[in-house]
Amino acid sequence: MSNFLKDNQSPLDYVTIKVDDQSHIKIKSQKKCLNKCENKPCTYYCPTRVFSWDDQSNKIKVAYERCIECLACPFGCPLNNIDWNFPQGGYGVIYQPNGQ
Amino acid sequence: MGNDRYNVIIVGAGPAGSAAAIRLAQNDLSVALIERGEKPGTKTMFGGSIYADPTSRVIPEFWEDAPLERPLVTDEFWLLDRDSAVKVGFTGLKYKRSPYNKFSALRSKFDPWFAQQAVNEGADLMTSTLVKDLVYEKTGLLNKKVAGVKLDSGEVIHSDVVLLAEGASANLTEKAGLRGEIETSSMFLYVKEELALPAEKIESRFNLEPNEGANVGMIGYPTSGIAGKGGLWTNKESISLIVGGYLNQIIKKGASPYQMLSRFKAHPLVSRLIDGAKTVAYKSRIIPKGGYESLPQLYDDGILVAGDAAVMISGRRGTDLAMLTGLYAADIIAQARAAEDYSSRVLKGYDKRVSNSFFMKNIKKGKGGHQYQKDHPDADYLLTKAANDAAYKFFEVGSESSSEKMKKIRQEILDMQPIKKTVKDIYYGLQDWSVF
Ligand SMILES: Cc1cc2nc3c(=O)[nH]c(=O)nc-3n(C[C@H](O)[C@H](O)[C@H](O)COP(=O)(O)OP(=O)(O)OC[C@H]3O[C@@H](n4cnc5c(N)ncnc54)[C@H](O)[C@@H]3O)c2cc1C
Ligand code: SF4
Ligand code: SF4
Repeated sequence: MSNFLKDNQSPLDYVTIKVDDQSHIKIKSQKKCLNKCENKPCTYYCPTRVFSWDDQSNKIKVAYERCIECLACPFGCPLNNIDWNFPQGGYGVIYQPNGQ
Repeated sequence: MGNDRYNVIIVGAGPAGSAAAIRLAQNDLSVALIERGEKPGTKTMFGGSIYADPTSRVIPEFWEDAPLERPLVTDEFWLLDRDSAVKVGFTGLKYKRSPYNKFSALRSKFDPWFAQQAVNEGADLMTSTLVKDLVYEKTGLLNKKVAGVKLDSGEVIHSDVVLLAEGASANLTEKAGLRGEIETSSMFLYVKEELALPAEKIESRFNLEPNEGANVGMIGYPTSGIAGKGGLWTNKESISLIVGGYLNQIIKKGASPYQMLSRFKAHPLVSRLIDGAKTVAYKSRIIPKGGYESLPQLYDDGILVAGDAAVMISGRRGTDLAMLTGLYAADIIAQARAAEDYSSRVLKGYDKRVSNSFFMKNIKKGKGGHQYQKDHPDADYLLTKAANDAAYKFFEVGSESSSEKMKKIRQEILDMQPIKKTVKDIYYGLQDWSVF
Protein backbone atom coordinates (compact mmCIF):
# COMPACT_ATOMS: atom_id res chain seq x y z
CA MET A 1 0.00 0.00 0.00
CA SER A 2 1.48 3.28 -1.05
CA ASN A 3 1.67 6.25 1.22
CA PHE A 4 -0.49 9.32 0.87
CA LEU A 5 2.13 11.97 0.48
CA LYS A 6 5.67 12.20 -0.68
CA ASP A 7 6.99 12.76 2.81
CA ASN A 8 6.03 9.21 3.71
CA GLN A 9 3.50 10.22 6.33
CA SER A 10 0.37 8.17 6.61
CA PRO A 11 -2.63 9.38 8.58
CA LEU A 12 -3.01 5.86 9.90
CA ASP A 13 -0.03 6.53 12.16
CA TYR A 14 -2.48 8.58 14.24
CA VAL A 15 -5.37 6.13 14.43
CA THR A 16 -6.00 3.13 16.66
CA ILE A 17 -7.90 0.29 15.02
CA LYS A 18 -8.88 -3.03 16.56
CA VAL A 19 -8.89 -5.22 13.48
CA ASP A 20 -11.44 -7.99 13.19
CA ASP A 21 -10.40 -11.14 11.36
CA GLN A 22 -13.37 -10.76 9.03
CA SER A 23 -13.89 -7.96 6.55
CA HIS A 24 -16.88 -5.68 7.04
CA ILE A 25 -16.53 -4.37 3.48
CA LYS A 26 -17.22 -6.34 0.33
CA ILE A 27 -17.33 -5.43 -3.34
CA LYS A 28 -20.58 -6.77 -4.73
CA SER A 29 -19.39 -7.16 -8.32
CA GLN A 30 -15.78 -6.77 -9.42
CA LYS A 31 -17.05 -6.84 -13.00
CA LYS A 32 -18.90 -3.60 -12.39
CA CYS A 33 -15.70 -1.98 -11.09
CA LEU A 34 -13.81 -3.13 -14.15
CA ASN A 35 -16.34 -2.34 -16.86
CA LYS A 36 -18.81 0.17 -15.57
CA CYS A 37 -16.87 2.51 -13.33
CA GLU A 38 -14.62 4.92 -15.10
CA ASN A 39 -13.12 7.03 -12.33
CA LYS A 40 -13.23 4.52 -9.48
CA PRO A 41 -14.01 7.20 -6.90
CA CYS A 42 -13.68 4.82 -3.96
CA THR A 43 -9.92 4.94 -4.59
CA TYR A 44 -9.82 8.64 -3.74
CA TYR A 45 -12.81 9.69 -1.61
CA CYS A 46 -11.87 7.28 1.17
CA PRO A 47 -9.89 9.23 3.78
CA THR A 48 -7.64 6.27 4.59
CA ARG A 49 -7.35 4.65 1.14
CA VAL A 50 -9.06 1.42 1.93
CA PHE A 51 -9.68 0.81 -1.79
CA SER A 52 -7.01 0.54 -4.44
CA TRP A 53 -7.03 -0.64 -8.03
CA ASP A 54 -4.83 -3.66 -8.62
CA ASP A 55 -3.48 -3.71 -12.18
CA GLN A 56 -2.36 -7.30 -11.92
CA SER A 57 -5.74 -8.81 -11.18
CA ASN A 58 -7.85 -5.95 -12.59
CA LYS A 59 -9.69 -5.81 -9.33
CA ILE A 60 -10.44 -3.39 -6.53
CA LYS A 61 -8.50 -4.45 -3.46
CA VAL A 62 -10.13 -3.77 -0.11
CA ALA A 63 -7.84 -3.13 2.85
CA TYR A 64 -10.72 -3.19 5.35
CA GLU A 65 -8.28 -3.04 8.26
CA ARG A 66 -7.61 0.60 7.33
CA CYS A 67 -11.27 1.69 7.57
CA ILE A 68 -12.03 4.43 10.10
CA GLU A 69 -15.80 4.20 9.64
CA CYS A 70 -16.31 7.70 8.32
CA LEU A 71 -19.58 6.32 6.90
CA ALA A 72 -18.98 7.69 3.39
CA CYS A 73 -19.41 4.05 2.31
CA PRO A 74 -21.69 2.83 0.96
CA PHE A 75 -23.04 6.21 -0.16
CA GLY A 76 -19.90 7.13 -2.11
CA CYS A 77 -19.95 4.37 -4.72
CA PRO A 78 -21.94 5.69 -7.70
CA LEU A 79 -22.97 2.14 -8.65
CA ASN A 80 -23.99 1.14 -5.14
CA ASN A 81 -21.47 -1.66 -5.46
CA ILE A 82 -20.00 -1.62 -1.95
CA ASP A 83 -21.54 -3.82 0.69
CA TRP A 84 -20.49 -1.94 3.81
CA ASN A 85 -21.47 -3.05 7.30
CA PHE A 86 -20.49 -1.94 10.75
CA PRO A 87 -17.66 -4.02 12.18
CA GLN A 88 -18.95 -6.19 15.00
CA GLY A 89 -19.34 -4.54 18.40
CA GLY A 90 -16.07 -3.37 19.96
CA TYR A 91 -14.05 -3.81 16.74
CA GLY A 92 -12.87 -1.26 14.19
CA VAL A 93 -11.70 2.27 14.83
CA ILE A 94 -11.14 3.43 18.40
CA TYR A 95 -10.92 7.21 18.42
CA GLN A 96 -9.03 8.58 21.35
CA PRO A 97 -8.63 12.09 22.65
CA ASN A 98 -5.36 13.55 21.42
CA GLY A 99 -4.27 10.10 20.34
CA GLN A 100 -3.52 9.09 23.93
CA MET B 1 -26.06 -7.84 31.19
CA GLY B 2 -28.98 -6.41 33.18
CA ASN B 3 -32.50 -7.66 32.44
CA ASP B 4 -33.84 -8.80 29.10
CA ARG B 5 -36.78 -6.46 29.07
CA TYR B 6 -36.72 -2.67 29.34
CA ASN B 7 -39.18 0.14 28.99
CA VAL B 8 -36.84 1.77 26.49
CA ILE B 9 -33.95 0.62 24.34
CA ILE B 10 -31.79 3.40 22.95
CA VAL B 11 -29.50 2.64 20.02
CA GLY B 12 -26.36 4.81 20.14
CA ALA B 13 -24.65 6.54 23.07
CA GLY B 14 -23.97 9.84 21.29
CA PRO B 15 -25.41 13.17 22.47
CA ALA B 16 -28.96 12.25 21.37
CA GLY B 17 -28.99 8.81 22.98
CA SER B 18 -27.33 9.78 26.23
CA ALA B 19 -29.50 12.89 26.70
CA ALA B 20 -32.62 10.78 26.25
CA ALA B 21 -31.26 8.10 28.59
CA ILE B 22 -30.55 10.64 31.32
CA ARG B 23 -34.06 12.07 31.18
CA LEU B 24 -35.79 8.68 30.96
CA ALA B 25 -33.82 7.23 33.85
CA GLN B 26 -34.63 10.34 35.90
CA ASN B 27 -38.28 9.57 35.23
CA ASP B 28 -37.77 6.05 36.56
CA LEU B 29 -38.09 4.23 33.28
CA SER B 30 -35.79 1.24 32.76
CA VAL B 31 -33.36 2.08 29.98
CA ALA B 32 -30.81 0.11 27.96
CA LEU B 33 -28.33 2.41 26.21
CA ILE B 34 -26.53 0.37 23.54
CA GLU B 35 -23.27 1.44 21.90
CA ARG B 36 -21.22 -0.44 19.32
CA GLY B 37 -17.93 1.19 20.33
CA GLU B 38 -15.88 -0.30 23.15
CA LYS B 39 -16.67 2.96 24.94
CA PRO B 40 -18.92 5.89 23.96
CA GLY B 41 -16.89 8.43 21.97
CA THR B 42 -14.62 5.90 20.26
CA LYS B 43 -16.63 6.17 17.03
CA THR B 44 -17.65 9.80 17.08
CA MET B 45 -15.93 13.02 16.12
CA PHE B 46 -16.92 16.63 15.51
CA GLY B 47 -15.27 20.07 15.19
CA GLY B 48 -16.25 21.04 17.78
CA SER B 49 -18.27 23.23 19.96
CA ILE B 50 -20.54 22.11 22.77
CA TYR B 51 -23.29 24.68 23.30
CA ALA B 52 -23.90 25.78 26.86
CA ASP B 53 -27.62 26.56 26.86
CA PRO B 54 -29.02 23.39 25.26
CA THR B 55 -26.60 21.14 27.13
CA SER B 56 -27.50 22.70 30.47
CA ARG B 57 -31.12 21.72 29.83
CA VAL B 58 -29.97 18.13 30.18
CA ILE B 59 -27.49 18.72 32.99
CA PRO B 60 -27.65 22.11 34.71
CA GLU B 61 -24.19 23.66 35.14
CA PHE B 62 -22.58 20.72 33.34
CA TRP B 63 -19.43 22.83 32.94
CA GLU B 64 -18.59 22.28 36.61
CA ASP B 65 -17.97 18.62 35.93
CA ALA B 66 -17.82 17.83 32.18
CA PRO B 67 -14.49 17.26 30.39
CA LEU B 68 -14.49 20.43 28.28
CA GLU B 69 -11.50 22.13 26.68
CA ARG B 70 -11.89 25.93 26.68
CA PRO B 71 -14.85 28.32 26.97
CA LEU B 72 -14.99 29.96 23.52
CA VAL B 73 -14.71 33.74 23.71
CA THR B 74 -13.54 34.41 20.16
CA ASP B 75 -15.51 33.48 17.07
CA GLU B 76 -14.08 34.30 13.68
CA PHE B 77 -15.17 33.69 10.14
CA TRP B 78 -12.58 33.85 7.38
CA LEU B 79 -13.06 34.12 3.67
CA LEU B 80 -9.78 32.51 2.79
CA ASP B 81 -8.07 33.04 -0.55
CA ARG B 82 -4.64 31.93 -1.68
CA ASP B 83 -2.52 34.35 0.34
CA SER B 84 -5.12 36.52 2.05
CA ALA B 85 -8.21 36.37 4.21
CA VAL B 86 -11.15 38.67 4.82
CA LYS B 87 -11.99 38.20 8.48
CA VAL B 88 -15.12 38.84 10.47
CA GLY B 89 -14.95 38.24 14.18
CA PHE B 90 -16.14 38.84 17.69
CA THR B 91 -14.56 38.45 21.10
CA GLY B 92 -16.82 38.55 24.14
CA LEU B 93 -15.16 38.00 27.50
CA LYS B 94 -18.54 37.61 29.14
CA TYR B 95 -18.51 34.16 27.55
CA LYS B 96 -15.75 32.95 29.82
CA ARG B 97 -18.08 33.08 32.81
CA SER B 98 -21.23 31.26 33.78
CA PRO B 99 -23.65 30.77 32.01
CA TYR B 100 -21.07 30.68 29.19
CA ASN B 101 -21.87 30.34 25.49
CA LYS B 102 -19.86 27.54 23.87
CA PHE B 103 -16.95 25.29 24.76
CA SER B 104 -14.42 23.56 22.59
CA ALA B 105 -14.43 19.83 23.29
CA LEU B 106 -13.21 16.43 22.14
CA ARG B 107 -15.93 13.85 21.68
CA SER B 108 -13.75 10.97 22.78
CA LYS B 109 -13.70 12.64 26.21
CA PHE B 110 -17.14 14.22 26.26
CA ASP B 111 -19.27 11.28 25.05
CA PRO B 112 -18.08 8.78 27.72
CA TRP B 113 -18.69 11.37 30.44
CA PHE B 114 -22.16 12.17 29.11
CA ALA B 115 -23.13 8.50 28.90
CA GLN B 116 -21.81 7.99 32.44
CA GLN B 117 -24.33 10.58 33.67
CA ALA B 118 -27.07 8.33 32.28
CA VAL B 119 -25.56 5.37 34.12
CA ASN B 120 -25.47 7.43 37.31
CA GLU B 121 -29.19 8.03 36.90
CA GLY B 122 -29.78 4.30 36.58
CA ALA B 123 -29.56 3.48 32.86
CA ASP B 124 -27.83 0.26 31.75
CA LEU B 125 -25.01 1.02 29.32
CA MET B 126 -23.97 -1.86 27.04
CA THR B 127 -20.80 -1.22 25.07
CA SER B 128 -19.08 -3.24 22.32
CA THR B 129 -22.61 -4.15 21.29
CA LEU B 130 -23.91 -3.66 17.79
CA VAL B 131 -27.65 -3.55 17.21
CA LYS B 132 -28.26 -5.48 14.00
CA ASP B 133 -32.00 -5.33 13.63
CA LEU B 134 -35.34 -4.35 15.02
CA VAL B 135 -37.72 -6.93 16.40
CA TYR B 136 -41.49 -6.59 15.88
CA GLU B 137 -44.61 -7.93 17.50
CA LYS B 138 -48.08 -8.21 16.00
CA THR B 139 -50.65 -5.81 17.37
CA GLY B 140 -53.56 -6.91 15.25
CA LEU B 141 -54.29 -8.67 12.02
CA LEU B 142 -52.34 -6.22 9.90
CA ASN B 143 -50.44 -4.09 12.33
CA LYS B 144 -47.15 -4.60 14.04
CA LYS B 145 -45.07 -2.56 16.40
CA VAL B 146 -41.38 -2.43 17.20
CA ALA B 147 -40.84 -4.53 20.30
CA GLY B 148 -37.10 -4.71 20.74
CA VAL B 149 -33.74 -5.20 19.06
CA LYS B 150 -31.49 -7.99 17.90
CA LEU B 151 -27.81 -7.76 18.78
CA ASP B 152 -24.82 -8.97 16.77
CA SER B 153 -24.46 -11.79 19.28
CA GLY B 154 -27.87 -12.99 18.13
CA GLU B 155 -29.43 -12.09 21.46
CA VAL B 156 -32.81 -10.35 21.44
CA ILE B 157 -33.75 -7.68 23.97
CA HIS B 158 -37.35 -6.57 24.34
CA SER B 159 -38.75 -3.15 25.17
CA ASP B 160 -41.93 -1.11 25.02
CA VAL B 161 -40.27 1.36 22.69
CA VAL B 162 -36.99 1.77 20.78
CA LEU B 163 -35.32 5.13 20.27
CA LEU B 164 -32.92 5.27 17.33
CA ALA B 165 -30.07 7.68 18.09
CA GLU B 166 -27.66 5.94 15.74
CA GLY B 167 -26.16 8.99 14.05
CA ALA B 168 -25.67 9.85 10.40
CA SER B 169 -25.59 6.38 8.88
CA ALA B 170 -29.18 5.85 9.97
CA ASN B 171 -29.11 2.16 9.03
CA LEU B 172 -31.89 1.02 11.29
CA THR B 173 -33.92 4.11 10.48
CA GLU B 174 -33.81 2.99 6.87
CA LYS B 175 -34.56 -0.63 7.77
CA ALA B 176 -37.59 0.55 9.71
CA GLY B 177 -38.82 2.20 6.51
CA LEU B 178 -38.63 5.66 8.03
CA ARG B 179 -36.33 7.18 5.47
CA GLY B 180 -35.50 6.77 1.80
CA GLU B 181 -32.08 6.58 0.23
CA ILE B 182 -29.62 9.29 1.12
CA GLU B 183 -28.07 11.13 -1.82
CA THR B 184 -24.38 11.96 -1.87
CA SER B 185 -25.39 15.55 -2.60
CA SER B 186 -26.90 15.59 0.90
CA MET B 187 -23.69 14.45 2.58
CA PHE B 188 -20.68 16.32 3.77
CA LEU B 189 -17.45 14.39 4.28
CA TYR B 190 -15.02 15.85 6.81
CA VAL B 191 -11.52 14.90 7.89
CA LYS B 192 -9.94 16.12 11.09
CA GLU B 193 -6.58 16.32 12.72
CA GLU B 194 -5.88 17.05 16.37
CA LEU B 195 -2.51 18.69 16.82
CA ALA B 196 -0.76 18.97 20.18
CA LEU B 197 0.55 22.43 21.07
CA PRO B 198 1.51 23.82 24.50
CA ALA B 199 -1.13 26.05 26.12
CA GLU B 200 1.12 29.14 26.18
CA LYS B 201 1.68 28.89 22.43
CA ILE B 202 -2.02 28.54 21.77
CA GLU B 203 -2.74 31.55 23.95
CA SER B 204 -0.13 33.79 22.36
CA ARG B 205 -1.07 32.80 18.79
CA PHE B 206 -4.78 33.39 19.28
CA ASN B 207 -4.48 36.31 21.66
CA LEU B 208 -6.11 34.44 24.54
CA GLU B 209 -5.63 34.13 28.25
CA PRO B 210 -5.70 30.81 30.08
CA ASN B 211 -9.16 29.27 30.03
CA GLU B 212 -10.21 31.26 26.95
CA GLY B 213 -10.68 29.66 23.56
CA ALA B 214 -11.14 30.59 19.91
CA ASN B 215 -12.99 29.11 16.97
CA VAL B 216 -12.31 30.05 13.35
CA GLY B 217 -14.63 28.98 10.53
CA MET B 218 -13.31 29.27 6.99
CA ILE B 219 -14.64 28.99 3.47
CA GLY B 220 -12.97 29.39 0.10
CA TYR B 221 -9.41 28.15 -0.19
CA PRO B 222 -9.67 25.15 2.15
CA THR B 223 -11.66 23.25 -0.42
CA SER B 224 -11.34 25.35 -3.62
CA GLY B 225 -14.04 24.68 -6.19
CA ILE B 226 -15.83 22.25 -3.89
CA ALA B 227 -18.49 23.76 -1.68
CA GLY B 228 -16.90 23.02 1.65
CA LYS B 229 -15.55 24.38 4.86
CA GLY B 230 -12.56 24.46 7.09
CA GLY B 231 -12.58 25.03 10.82
CA LEU B 232 -10.21 25.41 13.70
CA TRP B 233 -10.78 25.10 17.44
CA THR B 234 -8.37 25.71 20.29
CA ASN B 235 -8.43 23.02 22.95
CA LYS B 236 -6.52 23.07 26.24
CA GLU B 237 -3.29 21.79 24.76
CA SER B 238 -4.17 21.01 21.20
CA ILE B 239 -5.77 22.40 18.08
CA SER B 240 -8.59 20.72 16.19
CA LEU B 241 -8.52 21.29 12.47
CA ILE B 242 -11.25 20.09 10.12
CA VAL B 243 -11.88 20.39 6.42
CA GLY B 244 -14.53 18.86 4.22
CA GLY B 245 -17.04 19.25 1.45
CA TYR B 246 -20.06 17.78 -0.28
CA LEU B 247 -19.40 14.11 -0.98
CA ASN B 248 -20.80 14.24 -4.52
CA GLN B 249 -18.46 17.12 -5.38
CA ILE B 250 -15.46 15.35 -3.87
CA ILE B 251 -16.34 12.40 -6.08
CA LYS B 252 -16.92 14.52 -9.17
CA LYS B 253 -13.74 16.54 -8.83
CA GLY B 254 -11.49 13.62 -7.97
CA ALA B 255 -10.54 15.18 -4.64
CA SER B 256 -8.91 13.24 -1.83
CA PRO B 257 -9.97 14.38 1.64
CA TYR B 258 -6.54 13.73 3.11
CA GLN B 259 -4.86 15.81 0.46
CA MET B 260 -7.42 18.54 1.02
CA LEU B 261 -6.36 18.55 4.67
CA SER B 262 -2.66 18.68 3.82
CA ARG B 263 -3.25 21.58 1.46
CA PHE B 264 -5.28 23.40 4.10
CA LYS B 265 -2.55 22.91 6.71
CA ALA B 266 0.02 24.30 4.29
CA HIS B 267 -1.89 27.56 3.71
CA PRO B 268 0.39 30.38 4.88
CA LEU B 269 -2.24 31.84 7.21
CA VAL B 270 -3.08 28.43 8.68
CA SER B 271 0.41 26.95 8.86
CA ARG B 272 1.58 29.75 11.17
CA LEU B 273 -1.18 28.89 13.62
CA ILE B 274 -0.18 25.23 13.81
CA ASP B 275 3.56 25.69 13.42
CA GLY B 276 5.43 23.20 15.60
CA ALA B 277 2.22 21.40 16.55
CA LYS B 278 2.42 17.64 16.45
CA THR B 279 -0.36 15.59 14.87
CA VAL B 280 -1.83 13.25 17.47
CA ALA B 281 -5.09 12.07 15.93
CA TYR B 282 -6.69 11.68 12.50
CA LYS B 283 -10.44 11.24 12.24
CA SER B 284 -13.13 11.37 9.60
CA ARG B 285 -16.90 11.45 9.47
CA ILE B 286 -19.82 12.32 7.28
CA ILE B 287 -22.55 14.69 8.31
CA PRO B 288 -26.02 14.73 6.76
CA LYS B 289 -26.44 18.16 5.20
CA GLY B 290 -29.71 17.53 3.51
CA GLY B 291 -31.66 19.83 5.75
CA TYR B 292 -35.39 19.92 5.53
CA GLU B 293 -35.94 17.99 2.31
CA SER B 294 -34.38 14.84 3.64
CA LEU B 295 -35.95 14.60 7.09
CA PRO B 296 -37.14 11.07 7.75
CA GLN B 297 -40.40 10.18 9.38
CA LEU B 298 -39.66 10.64 13.07
CA TYR B 299 -41.91 7.97 14.63
CA ASP B 300 -43.91 4.83 14.07
CA ASP B 301 -45.51 2.25 16.34
CA GLY B 302 -43.03 1.58 19.13
CA ILE B 303 -40.18 3.59 17.60
CA LEU B 304 -38.74 7.13 17.51
CA VAL B 305 -35.73 8.71 15.76
CA ALA B 306 -33.54 11.52 17.20
CA GLY B 307 -30.34 13.40 16.43
CA ASP B 308 -28.30 12.98 13.24
CA ALA B 309 -30.30 9.91 12.27
CA ALA B 310 -33.25 12.29 12.04
CA VAL B 311 -31.08 14.83 10.15
CA MET B 312 -31.40 17.38 12.95
CA ILE B 313 -28.63 19.61 11.69
CA SER B 314 -28.65 23.33 11.18
CA GLY B 315 -25.63 25.41 10.28
CA ARG B 316 -22.81 24.57 12.64
CA ARG B 317 -25.06 23.03 15.24
CA GLY B 318 -25.69 19.36 15.73
CA THR B 319 -24.90 18.04 19.20
CA ASP B 320 -27.33 20.49 20.74
CA LEU B 321 -30.18 19.58 18.41
CA ALA B 322 -29.34 15.94 19.04
CA MET B 323 -29.67 16.52 22.80
CA LEU B 324 -32.90 18.50 22.45
CA THR B 325 -34.56 15.92 20.20
CA GLY B 326 -33.35 13.26 22.65
CA LEU B 327 -35.09 15.16 25.47
CA TYR B 328 -38.29 15.63 23.49
CA ALA B 329 -38.35 11.94 22.66
CA ALA B 330 -37.86 11.09 26.34
CA ASP B 331 -40.78 13.34 27.32
CA ILE B 332 -43.13 11.68 24.84
CA ILE B 333 -42.03 8.22 25.93
CA ALA B 334 -42.83 9.14 29.53
CA GLN B 335 -46.32 10.21 28.37
CA ALA B 336 -46.70 6.99 26.43
CA ARG B 337 -45.88 5.02 29.53
CA ALA B 338 -48.44 6.94 31.57
CA ALA B 339 -51.03 6.19 28.89
CA GLU B 340 -49.72 2.64 28.47
CA ASP B 341 -49.86 3.21 24.75
CA TYR B 342 -46.70 3.16 22.63
CA SER B 343 -48.45 3.31 19.30
CA SER B 344 -47.91 6.11 16.84
CA ARG B 345 -51.08 7.71 18.12
CA VAL B 346 -49.19 8.88 21.19
CA LEU B 347 -45.68 8.97 19.74
CA LYS B 348 -46.67 11.42 17.03
CA GLY B 349 -46.63 14.03 19.76
CA TYR B 350 -42.86 13.95 19.28
CA ASP B 351 -43.18 14.95 15.66
CA LYS B 352 -45.40 17.83 16.66
CA ARG B 353 -42.96 19.00 19.31
CA VAL B 354 -40.05 18.90 16.87
CA SER B 355 -42.03 20.64 14.11
CA ASN B 356 -42.89 23.52 16.41
CA SER B 357 -39.36 23.94 17.77
CA PHE B 358 -37.18 26.96 17.07
CA PHE B 359 -34.60 24.83 15.32
CA MET B 360 -37.10 23.35 12.88
CA LYS B 361 -37.70 26.89 11.71
CA ASN B 362 -33.96 27.19 11.11
CA ILE B 363 -33.78 23.85 9.36
CA LYS B 364 -36.67 24.85 7.11
CA LYS B 365 -35.06 28.19 6.48
CA GLY B 366 -31.87 26.45 5.42
CA LYS B 367 -33.79 24.54 2.78
CA GLY B 368 -33.13 27.04 0.01
CA GLY B 369 -29.50 27.30 1.01
CA HIS B 370 -28.89 23.63 0.49
CA GLN B 371 -30.46 23.73 -2.94
CA TYR B 372 -28.45 26.82 -3.73
CA GLN B 373 -25.18 25.10 -2.82
CA LYS B 374 -26.23 22.20 -4.99
CA ASP B 375 -26.85 24.42 -7.97
CA HIS B 376 -23.77 26.60 -7.42
CA PRO B 377 -20.97 24.44 -6.04
CA ASP B 378 -18.50 27.24 -6.72
CA ALA B 379 -20.46 29.87 -4.78
CA ASP B 380 -18.26 29.97 -1.68
CA TYR B 381 -15.14 30.00 -3.75
CA LEU B 382 -16.22 32.85 -6.00
CA LEU B 383 -17.50 34.85 -3.09
CA THR B 384 -14.22 34.44 -1.27
CA LYS B 385 -12.22 35.40 -4.29
CA ALA B 386 -14.30 38.52 -4.93
CA ALA B 387 -14.07 39.61 -1.30
CA ASN B 388 -10.31 39.14 -1.15
CA ASP B 389 -9.67 40.89 -4.46
CA ALA B 390 -11.78 43.79 -3.28
CA ALA B 391 -10.00 43.89 0.09
CA TYR B 392 -6.58 43.88 -1.53
CA LYS B 393 -7.66 46.86 -3.62
CA PHE B 394 -9.25 48.60 -0.66
CA PHE B 395 -6.25 48.41 1.61
CA GLU B 396 -3.66 49.14 -1.04
CA VAL B 397 -2.04 52.54 -0.65
CA GLY B 398 -2.07 53.98 -4.16
CA SER B 399 -2.49 57.30 -5.83
CA GLU B 400 -6.12 57.12 -6.88
CA SER B 401 -8.90 58.87 -5.02
CA SER B 402 -11.02 56.78 -2.74
CA SER B 403 -14.11 57.25 -4.86
CA GLU B 404 -12.22 56.02 -7.91
CA LYS B 405 -11.04 53.12 -5.85
CA MET B 406 -14.53 52.18 -4.73
CA LYS B 407 -15.80 52.44 -8.27
CA LYS B 408 -13.15 50.02 -9.44
CA ILE B 409 -13.87 47.57 -6.68
CA ARG B 410 -17.55 47.68 -7.44
CA GLN B 411 -16.91 47.12 -11.12
CA GLU B 412 -14.71 44.13 -10.44
CA ILE B 413 -17.25 42.44 -8.26
CA LEU B 414 -19.95 43.11 -10.84
CA ASP B 415 -17.72 41.66 -13.54
CA MET B 416 -17.15 38.43 -11.69
CA GLN B 417 -20.72 37.25 -11.72
CA PRO B 418 -24.22 38.67 -11.78
CA ILE B 419 -24.60 40.85 -8.73
CA LYS B 420 -27.73 39.08 -7.58
CA LYS B 421 -25.78 35.88 -7.28
CA THR B 422 -23.00 37.57 -5.31
CA VAL B 423 -25.42 38.89 -2.76
CA LYS B 424 -27.09 35.51 -2.53
CA ASP B 425 -23.71 33.86 -2.11
CA ILE B 426 -22.96 36.04 0.88
CA TYR B 427 -26.37 35.46 2.36
CA TYR B 428 -26.37 31.69 2.04
CA GLY B 429 -22.72 31.42 2.96
CA LEU B 430 -23.32 33.22 6.24
CA GLN B 431 -26.60 31.49 6.89
CA ASP B 432 -24.98 28.09 6.57
CA TRP B 433 -22.36 29.15 9.06
CA SER B 434 -24.52 31.11 11.41
CA VAL B 435 -24.87 30.12 15.01
CA PHE B 436 -28.28 31.86 15.28
C1 LIG C 1 -16.70 17.34 11.14
C2 LIG C 1 -17.88 17.59 11.99
C3 LIG C 1 -17.92 18.72 12.78
C4 LIG C 1 -18.99 18.98 13.62
N1 LIG C 1 -18.95 20.06 14.42
C5 LIG C 1 -19.93 20.25 15.31
C6 LIG C 1 -19.83 21.29 16.28
O1 LIG C 1 -18.84 22.02 16.35
N2 LIG C 1 -20.84 21.45 17.16
C7 LIG C 1 -21.93 20.63 17.14
O2 LIG C 1 -22.81 20.81 17.96
N3 LIG C 1 -22.06 19.63 16.25
C8 LIG C 1 -21.08 19.43 15.34
N4 LIG C 1 -21.18 18.38 14.45
C9 LIG C 1 -22.41 17.57 14.42
C10 LIG C 1 -22.46 16.59 15.57
O3 LIG C 1 -21.29 15.84 15.68
C11 LIG C 1 -23.63 15.65 15.38
O4 LIG C 1 -24.78 16.38 15.07
C12 LIG C 1 -23.89 14.83 16.64
O5 LIG C 1 -22.81 13.99 16.91
C13 LIG C 1 -25.14 13.99 16.49
O6 LIG C 1 -25.32 13.22 17.65
P1 LIG C 1 -26.11 11.85 17.61
O7 LIG C 1 -26.20 11.42 19.01
O8 LIG C 1 -27.34 12.00 16.81
O9 LIG C 1 -25.20 10.86 16.74
P2 LIG C 1 -23.64 10.36 16.95
O10 LIG C 1 -22.89 11.38 17.71
O11 LIG C 1 -23.21 9.98 15.62
O12 LIG C 1 -23.82 9.08 17.88
C14 LIG C 1 -24.34 7.88 17.41
C15 LIG C 1 -23.79 6.75 18.25
O13 LIG C 1 -24.47 5.56 17.96
C16 LIG C 1 -23.59 4.49 17.82
N5 LIG C 1 -24.24 3.52 16.92
C17 LIG C 1 -24.64 3.73 15.64
N6 LIG C 1 -25.26 2.66 15.15
C18 LIG C 1 -25.27 1.73 16.13
C19 LIG C 1 -25.77 0.40 16.23
N7 LIG C 1 -26.41 -0.17 15.21
N8 LIG C 1 -25.61 -0.28 17.38
C20 LIG C 1 -24.97 0.31 18.43
N9 LIG C 1 -24.47 1.55 18.41
C21 LIG C 1 -24.62 2.27 17.27
C22 LIG C 1 -22.34 5.13 17.27
O14 LIG C 1 -21.19 4.37 17.54
C23 LIG C 1 -22.33 6.47 18.00
O15 LIG C 1 -21.65 6.43 19.21
C24 LIG C 1 -20.10 18.11 13.61
C25 LIG C 1 -20.07 16.96 12.83
C26 LIG C 1 -18.97 16.68 12.03
C27 LIG C 1 -18.94 15.43 11.21
S1 SF4 D 1 -16.57 3.26 -6.87
FE1 SF4 D 1 -17.81 1.41 -6.70
S2 SF4 D 1 -17.97 0.56 -8.78
FE2 SF4 D 1 -16.34 2.10 -8.79
S3 SF4 D 1 -14.49 0.92 -8.45
FE3 SF4 D 1 -15.17 1.59 -6.43
S4 SF4 D 1 -16.49 -0.05 -5.67
FE4 SF4 D 1 -16.18 -0.40 -7.88
S1 SF4 E 1 -16.31 4.06 5.57
FE1 SF4 E 1 -14.86 5.72 5.20
S2 SF4 E 1 -12.92 4.97 5.98
FE2 SF4 E 1 -14.25 3.17 5.73
S3 SF4 E 1 -13.81 2.41 3.69
FE3 SF4 E 1 -15.54 3.78 3.47
S4 SF4 E 1 -14.62 5.77 2.98
FE4 SF4 E 1 -12.97 4.47 3.78
